[in-house]
Amino acid sequence: MMNSKLKRSILFWLFLSPIVVVILFPYAVMTITSFKSATEVLNPTWWPEELHWQNFSEMWQTSGIASALANSLYVSALSTLLTIAVSIPAAYALSRYQFAGRNAYRQFLLVSQMLSPIVLVIGLFRLVANVGMIDNLNVLVIIYTGFNIAFCVWMLQSYFSTIPRDLEEAAWMEGANRWRTLRSVFLPLAVPAMVVTAIFTFINAWNEFVIALTMLRKEENYTLPIRVLSLVAGRYTVDWHYVMAAAFVASVPVAILFAWLQRYLVRGLSIGAVK
Amino acid sequence: MQRATAPYFLILPSFVLAAAIILWPLKEIVSLSLHDVNRFGMLRDFVGLEHFRVLFADPDFIAATWRTLIWTVCVVLGTLIVSVPIALILNEDFYGRGIARILIMLPWAISLSMTAVVWRWALNGESGMLNSALRDLGLINSNIQWLAEASTAFPMQILIGILVSMPFTVTIFLGGLSSVPDDLYEAAATEGAGRWDQFRLITLPLLRPFINIAFVLNTIYVFNSFPIIWVTTQGGPANSTHILVTYLYELGFRLGRLGDAAAVSLIMFVILLVFTLIYVRLAMREEKA
Repeated sequence: MMNSKLKRSILFWLFLSPIVVVILFPYAVMTITSFKSATEVLNPTWWPEELHWQNFSEMWQTSGIASALANSLYVSALSTLLTIAVSIPAAYALSRYQFAGRNAYRQFLLVSQMLSPIVLVIGLFRLVANVGMIDNLNVLVIIYTGFNIAFCVWMLQSYFSTIPRDLEEAAWMEGANRWRTLRSVFLPLAVPAMVVTAIFTFINAWNEFVIALTMLRKEENYTLPIRVLSLVAGRYTVDWHYVMAAAFVASVPVAILFAWLQRYLVRGLSIGAVK
Repeated sequence: MQRATAPYFLILPSFVLAAAIILWPLKEIVSLSLHDVNRFGMLRDFVGLEHFRVLFADPDFIAATWRTLIWTVCVVLGTLIVSVPIALILNEDFYGRGIARILIMLPWAISLSMTAVVWRWALNGESGMLNSALRDLGLINSNIQWLAEASTAFPMQILIGILVSMPFTVTIFLGGLSSVPDDLYEAAATEGAGRWDQFRLITLPLLRPFINIAFVLNTIYVFNSFPIIWVTTQGGPANSTHILVTYLYELGFRLGRLGDAAAVSLIMFVILLVFTLIYVRLAMREEKA
């Protein structure tokens, strides 16, 4: 007799397999195409005759993806630092103080989370154009920060609330002041939460599309998503094997990072939903 | 620092930044939508609600509004229907659960614009691998030009929408399921309740608040979703796949009708505000319960 866990596993995988196939399909297409030669791309067979590793080096030289990678890194890293720097104090205040306006502030964050950049893009464009800052990557940093604050404060606050207050109270009893307690008791315990939140903020900025599409006009300023789209949109002939190689480079590192961290997101969101 | 003022100092920087990025553009949009504007964004005469009148007389706007409704309803309901059984399975203990979780979460990890670019290639009429895969399976005889017509492009866009909304929804449900105490099931099993009864009488009622929240949040995200449609068809052919967000972008940045685009933004803002109020009420009811 088969043991019941094995039987259950087979049943579950059978059920999940159609959906897994549909999910994996585009990414399989991306990976396979990025290893095909130019002639094979137009002739849709599943497996390439040989793996064309040179697609990646050729794409790297012709597509301008190196500067896009640098731009994406610059914008994402800087806006992550800024977002975390303003969100930590706010999350600390929400999880440790009772004050008038606390609920109003939480609801303000909620509303700001609901508004996607696309709804405000016309107004943002006009503001940025009026001060002559189109094509300035620092403008993207500020805008991404503004839109990520709500998510970041929400996540940090839900983690901070799980750090027991007793530890801090014990430190006060021993005569440490609030700042000292914060530095030597609270912050060390909060480091993992900050790192996880920072990485998710980074991924959000890395993947952002519509603001970059609107605010960046010169090719040398493009971030990765815009660069990859520019290889496709408005062209008569598209070198799909290069496009897929570029999409591969742009998404795989972040996807691995995300796969490794997704369980923290499950935890953070569900704690956030309960508290 | 005094205790009473400390929290306000702590929230101030985040408040100033978030408010500047949201309230300031909002003010710009309001003034654009009420004035005659040239394509470079120069304000001319005050025209009142003229832009709104133009929009409601514009058949493309009306069509995009209806399509937004179809898009949102199909993607959100499709996502919820697929996500409940997946979350139930991922909550059980079975071999390879870790891998299954990562696979289901994958579309969340890859940016929407990249996923959409890849789909645009996979759906290519001549060399796309969807056609070749379907031909190999014997499901079709000749190539389908997926993106050349709204009748095939729009359903594919809805399918992509469902695939990319699923990870977030499953995540919310997993959070909900982890709060269901095991002894409840044991008690039900000793009372002789079957698997289906357990699901109907225990799991579903306990999951209901999470389904509500996933419903409202997904409605907001899907309603706002821009990259899938913009990257695959840019609202074409002949404006036949526009939803409000893509039509707004087309009006503002392709056709230079900034005043009309601002009016669409404001209409969307009001709809989103209503969704948000529904969400706040649901979430508050949760907190009290």
